[in-house]
Amino acid sequence: MNIQSMLGRLMAVTALLVFAVSCDSSDNNDPELDLIPINSVTVDGYTVSLEATNELEIGANQLFWKIKQGDDTITPQSFTISPIMDMATMSHSTPFDQPETDAIDDSYLSNLAVFIMPSGDMGSWTINFQFTTQSGSDISGEMPINVNSSWKIMNTQDGNGKKYFVTWFEPQRPMSGNNDLTFLVHTRETMMNFPAVSDAEMIVYPYMGMGGGTGHSTPFTPPVATGNGFYEGDINYSMSGLWTTTVELVVENDTLPEMVFEYSVIAK
Amino acid sequence: MKHLILIIGLLFTGAEALMAQQISVKVADMTTKEPIVQAHIKDGPNSVITVTDVNGMFTVDLSKYSHLTITAVGYAPKNIHLQRGMEVIYLNPEVFRDQTELLVLANEEGEQNVHAYHNRTADQGMDQFLDNIDGVSTTKRGAFGWEPAVRGQSDQRMNLVIDGMQVFKACVDKMDPITSYVETNNLSKLQIDKSGSGVAQNGTGVSTVNLVTQKAESAPTSFNFSTSYRAPDQYRTVSLSGNTSDASGRNAVRFSGSYKKADDFRAGNDRTIQNTQYEKLNLNVNYRHTFPSQHSLEAGYIMDKAYDIGYPALLMDATKALADIGQIRFNFAPSNNDFQFNTAQVYANGVRHWMDDYGRDVANRQVMRGMYMPMYGTTTTYGAKLNGAATLFDHQFDWFMDAYMSDAFGDMLMESLDPSIQDMLIYNLDEVKTNNASLGFRHRIQLSDNVLMKIEESIRYKTLRTDSESHASFFQGLYGEAPGTRAKFLLSGSGSVLWMMNNNWSLSGSLVYSERMGNHMELFGHYIYNYTDGFFYDGNPWLKTERSINTDINATWETTGHSLSFTLFHKQYFNYIDGVLGTDSGSNDFRFKQYANVGDAVITGGEFRSFNDLGMMITLENRLSYLYAHNQTLDEPLPLMPPLKGNTTLHFHRGRNMFMADLEWAAEQNRIAEISSIEDQTGAYGIFNLTFERRWMDGDLTSIVSLNNILDHYYHTHTSIGNIPEAGRNLMISLSYQF
Repeated sequence: MNIQSMLGRLMAVTALLVFAVSCDSSDNNDPELDLIPINSVTVDGYTVSLEATNELEIGANQLFWKIKQGDDTITPQSFTISPIMDMATMSHSTPFDQPETDAIDDSYLSNLAVFIMPSGDMGSWTINFQFTTQSGSDISGEMPINVNSSWKIMNTQDGNGKKYFVTWFEPQRPMSGNNDLTFLVHTRETMMNFPAVSDAEMIVYPYMGMGGGTGHSTPFTPPVATGNGFYEGDINYSMSGLWTTTVELVVENDTLPEMVFEYSVIAK
Repeated sequence: MKHLILIIGLLFTGAEALMAQQISVKVADMTTKEPIVQAHIKDGPNSVITVTDVNGMFTVDLSKYSHLTITAVGYAPKNIHLQRGMEVIYLNPEVFRDQTELLVLANEEGEQNVHAYHNRTADQGMDQFLDNIDGVSTTKRGAFGWEPAVRGQSDQRMNLVIDGMQVFKACVDKMDPITSYVETNNLSKLQIDKSGSGVAQNGTGVSTVNLVTQKAESAPTSFNFSTSYRAPDQYRTVSLSGNTSDASGRNAVRFSGSYKKADDFRAGNDRTIQNTQYEKLNLNVNYRHTFPSQHSLEAGYIMDKAYDIGYPALLMDATKALADIGQIRFNFAPSNNDFQFNTAQVYANGVRHWMDDYGRDVANRQVMRGMYMPMYGTTTTYGAKLNGAATLFDHQFDWFMDAYMSDAFGDMLMESLDPSIQDMLIYNLDEVKTNNASLGFRHRIQLSDNVLMKIEESIRYKTLRTDSESHASFFQGLYGEAPGTRAKFLLSGSGSVLWMMNNNWSLSGSLVYSERMGNHMELFGHYIYNYTDGFFYDGNPWLKTERSINTDINATWETTGHSLSFTLFHKQYFNYIDGVLGTDSGSNDFRFKQYANVGDAVITGGEFRSFNDLGMMITLENRLSYLYAHNQTLDEPLPLMPPLKGNTTLHFHRGRNMFMADLEWAAEQNRIAEISSIEDQTGAYGIFNLTFERRWMDGDLTSIVSLNNILDHYYHTHTSIGNIPEAGRNLMISLSYQF
């Protein structure tokens, strides 16, 4: 092999490598959030916008906040929220975290909120917010929101009347095949305080009724506590259709009355 | 003057052409290239024109005999279109035909010995014909689509191909056996390799059935029309076939078509078996072009449509089954080169299968009560095959390359009678891909004048995967690991020895080692209903390779007019793949199994066949077979194994008349699987059939009258799912006209 031939081959291999590397760069794209607007309010020239991946519903919701002054997105020194359900004769809050800079898109602040009841004749939801600008100005306001019904949250209570809220965290769209199965558990200490429960034992049983008293379960791994109120396992749906998952909480050796989630599993 | 010269020239040219009609050709052994002496040169099945001389030469008049059949003892027959310039015709040795039996169909006369089977009555269907071959049984679920099993092995443990093409069933419940796509009027022959010793060609080392279809021939135009009617099931069929070629013989076309329809049949004692009707249309066309170089190109297409097929043994019926099977094959002319190509073939096929239970009483059945379950399945397969021969360091061998890829899909919708219950959907198979490539070699070694050895080996690379994320995730959830692509190298090999002890006796034996990866349903099937045990099966992508060792010994005695063959075999399985109880479903209504390697199993048995020419145009044939199959891990018999069974046929043939009396029988089967399946014992039976055939109009018109199960015995075979009985007394009348 002469030198020219060898150089030619080296150049060809180099070109192929460069091409391959350049093709691979597409894998480094940042994932993008796919959000829909929920509501926005303007206070003292600052527009506070709330977005989410879906319409808000009872159960777990990831809330995305953006604050703008004119066309510029600003980063406040601090930003806090407080969801309140006004039921005329009383009001209460719901389990939620305070917003923090979003890990995917830092122009947003995001937090998890678990709404325990829907908007409607019984009452309406408002999220009070407060933030401090970089110049030190304190801004506060309130944002009405609409929370739809869903099947994703159930509650039970112990012998002392202490309420426990069990939220179906994932799969958000149950699908045939294997799915992560995650629940969130909170309890109600006061009407404004809903701490996470991480020391319970969770017993689940998925079942598909097929009519005429017949039915079957499907393979699953029982969820176990992983902290911050999360309980993680998995569930392997054998087919699409209407399923139920019965959940029992064992708190301090006391098995609480069962809750039954009923939902549809899609084919794919 | 110029005109005179031209006329004289033309006269000489014409005389030369006339003289050139006499052609001399040599017949030689494809392997050794040695001339073949006393080869019969025939113009049709029986009319011998001449024989080859000591130099293997024969001479014929080309204007009279352009299309010939050449036969010679120990060689495969060859049909050939003679052409000017042709010098040598090679015949392939067929010394191992006891392993690869030749089954001649379409009512043709041929070899009357233990090597050949004849479908003596043209009205006999493929299913019945297969069911009476020693060592072959059929699994039945009704009157249609019986699934063949060779030595108790069916489906994934046998290789069922059409012209060597892989065709995968679309129905996950196995309602569409490949045999149903080739009608007898389109079948040239069946090649059954019971032991699987043809490893180089079949690539697997498992029992193989190859349905070889009729091809277009360079022959005078011929046409056949036949029709049959059977009572009391109102079975009626019409079939056509024809062949034509142009004057040069280079272009030939063959077509065939058949339509059949049957109502519910009646079992013995006049009991009508509901839901056993069917209707079917089959069309086939084949084109062949022969090049001056003697290379030839063939193109073939089969279309099969079946409708309204009742399966009384199953939960549902097939409403429609469609198959489209196409191939293009290039046949290379024989050559003396050290490296030769024989044939190159590319093919594609698609099978689609719909079934449902809308016509069933789903509200009152025990399994899957209160819901309809329409199912759909499809497979699409592409493949290529190439084979030839080569000589390396004075060693001659045959080589075979085979590759295919297949895509399978199957789903089942469940529609509850209760309107408050949502429809449910299962993907039994979703984007499940099978890829396979193999390379095989076959060596023939002449150890002495009367001992021949054959060694074959094959290496195969097979992959299985699903491209559906949700389907793959199911197996990830079940086994805790993403299945990805499952890939294996699979080795198979065989060694066979034939000892021609004397002019009458021959002994042969073979040893076959085979490795089998589970098929697409064993690895990636989901909730596949097994009608033999009532369980729903899940696949297991992590199945280990199933291995088997098969030993075969055969003794054959042949004299003029008499022959008998006795075979014993023993097959030992390791890592046998079967279902084991799955995770608790929390239900007594639905029971689940998962495929697993369950341990060892064994199948052993034997076959006997004799053929006796009793003189006076009378021949007697006996067939007998027995299987002992045992799951050694569970210490119980394997399911769906036929008992000792056989048949005796007395055949009287005189002039234009043929009379045949046939006794089919089976012993009781008490060896049943009760752990791995839910079998019950089956009683013994024997039925008696009579057939009379007469040829008219110089043989152009044939009439056949068959009276089957004359004593109207009510019985079922052990391999009948759900103990669906066989047909009772029935009368069939057939007419066939050809020119």
